[in-house]
Amino acid sequence: MLNIAVCVKQVPDTEARLSVAADKTRIEEQGISFILNPYDEHAVEEAIRLKEKQGGTVTVFCLGPARAEEAIRTALAMGADKAVHLADAAFGGGDEGTAAAALEKAIAGKSFDLVLAGRLAIDDASGQVGARLAEKLGWPHVTAVTRLAVEGREAVANREIDGGSQVVAVTLPAVITAQRGLNQPRYPKIPDIMKARRKEVAKVTPADLGLSGGEVGGAGAKGKVAGLAPAPGRSAGKVIAGEPADAARKVVGLLRDEAKVI
Amino acid sequence: MTTGPATRQIYWDIDLHWLIYIFMLLPLVLLGYGMWRRYRMWRQGGPDQRFGDWWERTKTVIWESGLQRRVLRDLFPGVTHAFIFWGMLALLGGTIVVGVQADAGLRIYHGWFYLAVSLILDVFGALSLLAVVVAAFRRYILRPARLDNRPDDAYFLAILFVTLLSGFVLEGLRIAARPDPWGAYNPVGVAFSLPFSGRPEATLELWYAVLWWAHMAMAFTFMAYLPFSKALHIFVAPVNQFFRRLGPAGALSKLNFEDETIETFGVSEVTQFSWKQLMDSDACTRCGRCQDNCPAHLSGKALSPKSLVQGVKAQMEWTFTHRGVASQDDTGPKLIGDRVPEEALWACTTCRACEESCPVFVEHVEKTVGMRRHLVMMESQFPPELQLTFKNLETNFNPWALGWAGRADWRKELAGAAEPFEVPLLSEHPNPEYLLWVGCSGSFDARNRKVTLALAKLLHRAGVDFAILGTEEKCCGDSARRLGNEYLYQTLAQENVEVLKGYGVQRIVTACPHCLNTLKNEYPQFGGEFEVVHHSQLLESLVATGRLKVAPITPKVTYHDSCFLGRYNRVYEEPRRLVLAASGARPVEMPRHGASAFCCGGGGGRVWMEESQGQRINVMRAKEAMGTGTSRVVTACPFCLTMLEDGVKLSGAATPAKVCDVAELLQEAVQ
Repeated sequence: MLNIAVCVKQVPDTEARLSVAADKTRIEEQGISFILNPYDEHAVEEAIRLKEKQGGTVTVFCLGPARAEEAIRTALAMGADKAVHLADAAFGGGDEGTAAAALEKAIAGKSFDLVLAGRLAIDDASGQVGARLAEKLGWPHVTAVTRLAVEGREAVANREIDGGSQVVAVTLPAVITAQRGLNQPRYPKIPDIMKARRKEVAKVTPADLGLSGGEVGGAGAKGKVAGLAPAPGRSAGKVIAGEPADAARKVVGLLRDEAKVI
Repeated sequence: MTTGPATRQIYWDIDLHWLIYIFMLLPLVLLGYGMWRRYRMWRQGGPDQRFGDWWERTKTVIWESGLQRRVLRDLFPGVTHAFIFWGMLALLGGTIVVGVQADAGLRIYHGWFYLAVSLILDVFGALSLLAVVVAAFRRYILRPARLDNRPDDAYFLAILFVTLLSGFVLEGLRIAARPDPWGAYNPVGVAFSLPFSGRPEATLELWYAVLWWAHMAMAFTFMAYLPFSKALHIFVAPVNQFFRRLGPAGALSKLNFEDETIETFGVSEVTQFSWKQLMDSDACTRCGRCQDNCPAHLSGKALSPKSLVQGVKAQMEWTFTHRGVASQDDTGPKLIGDRVPEEALWACTTCRACEESCPVFVEHVEKTVGMRRHLVMMESQFPPELQLTFKNLETNFNPWALGWAGRADWRKELAGAAEPFEVPLLSEHPNPEYLLWVGCSGSFDARNRKVTLALAKLLHRAGVDFAILGTEEKCCGDSARRLGNEYLYQTLAQENVEVLKGYGVQRIVTACPHCLNTLKNEYPQFGGEFEVVHHSQLLESLVATGRLKVAPITPKVTYHDSCFLGRYNRVYEEPRRLVLAASGARPVEMPRHGASAFCCGGGGGRVWMEESQGQRINVMRAKEAMGTGTSRVVTACPFCLTMLEDGVKLSGAATPAKVCDVAELLQEAVQ
């Protein structure tokens, strides 16, 4: 029996055409699709697989505006049992610290054995919330995991490191963050999608978590986004013509002198 | 010598011949029981609306059973079958006439009527007998690959052969004993009498009596055996033709997701088919025409439409004989897996060549999609590459991982045209003459965007008032539906119908036959009734009415029929007329064209899947196209264009043909 909490975030679709909003600190949300953060999808999948093997429950935790419920329903359709949605407007505009603090209040003391989350969210890509949450819970954590085995009160996780892999064993409860390759997330079955519509999504406010307005969201954040700028447009590719041997020589030259990568 | 009107003695010296009516009872009861049993097997299936249009349905039976239209399309086996059928039909009629004459007291079997019937029976009987021999020769000596031989096939031919032969021997014995003055009207009977001439009459009489009873026994055996064998098709084929699908050939049935009490979707057990889908399997005689026309089968994949239908039949019978216990019996055979391999289901391109070639109107595609629906929606089990396709459709409303915001970006390329013009959005320009439904390929695929540009330029030049939906357009859902993801399809369909109705759209033109089929034939299921035409149809009328002036420029070309344009929507002629207008000649036809055209391999969602088994269908078709000796292959479908262009490349041809859409061809020729 494993009681697993999975932290998920809703993010703009990888193919969405992003533009910076007028206040230069946010992206324009009009006209883009949002998805369940792909790394979180791996975390949800892993949680469900563990539950299917060992029994237990999977609870989804999500901090985000009302629209994020769609991502929660995706996780529920995949097989999570219930969800807690930190949807209150007061949670908005925070940083990784306020997010981890709020999640900690929601998760702590609920006899979870394991917290799973994505290694990072593809929107701001800071990758801090999982580690900060573990710190606040006082649990061990392993990040960017590509293989996970849970046996009894021990979790053995493989994580990618530069040029190889590392195997880390931790005692439960623990926080594990998922790297691509951990699993292949499932495509939900229709009856499960239908069941997911009826599953409980508890909406919680800072007060429900015992937090004051000043401890959450923008009010509690220690860091603020000062500005956002779009990435410079990609310049057109170069076609190098000529005999293969000459062309290859030219490519090597350009890689060394112009791109400075070799 | 008799001098009365022409006739013959019936029941020549057969004592107690009336006993046949008693003996007939048992085979009749068995026939009735057997048919009733089949009927109950079909009724394991669910409802299916196949009623109304009685005259249309009757006409189908007259053409397809009476005149053997589709049977005869395949000449050699077709003629063989037609002669067996017409011969047996004539002999059955003759037998009834004899029965009426002898035992119902109606003196009709004399004079010219007797002579005419005699001659007809003699000739048709002989042709039938000959055809049975030819059929056996084909089946057991020539052994075409599409036939799988079971004992039943041999029994059937043997019974026919022995019955027909014994009939002629009987006639020969009678004529040998009592020379027939009307022998000229029984030429085959006279021929059969020759070996017996000069024998003592008593001997002939004895032989006759014995053989007569044997002949009757054989006929009764046939009656009793019929519903338990492939001879069943004698009754079921016409009924199946009668209940065929009328209306759009390829519109798939709509599933109900609104009713929350429905918890299973698709087909994993035969009881989830409709009665008609189950009856299909009894109409099937395993003739193999479907298999001979199936691109998946011909390219060496796991699918044979024939085996699929036979798998359904086997499971229907198993479910029937295990009813009551089947649901508890988890060890029994499974429809998907044991009867129909999963990989066979995924190999189908939904091209409908099987359905088009089937003389008894079996509907293979709906069954295939029904089972795919189960796999996708109930089991989440499908080729892994499709997950990305589904997710892309969900998030970006196109099959590629391309942001939906870029759907109208193709218009930017118009700015660089020689005579730049604007294609307005429907939101800016409501109520145009036509909505141009661009489709995913026409919007996002680099090659097919060129087709969209050519089409837009042609429409602009002809002065057609048109607009597009831009980012309000979503994938029509064709691939999702045919891949079995009905839920995703319905989401897309409902959203599109809502947008189209919101603008009050009435007339739509599209370059994609898949969009055409979906919008025209399937959106009515969601309350979307639009007049939808294919761009080839609109362009053809623009050329015909002189709105587009064309000077033929291109050398001879070949034309590849899209399945969804041709077999699905019966548009064969307009693209050919455009080819004529643009190239000065009708296309050089490939061996397989029109209704029997060979698929490009991209339909039914196959375009999004790996093709690792057997040969590549697109390469086979590209080679066939280049076999016409033309340097240009004209298509009228974005999937065909992509598949054939790849096919030409992969074929390794020394002088690869150029592949283009019919709109591009016209664009070159337009003045």
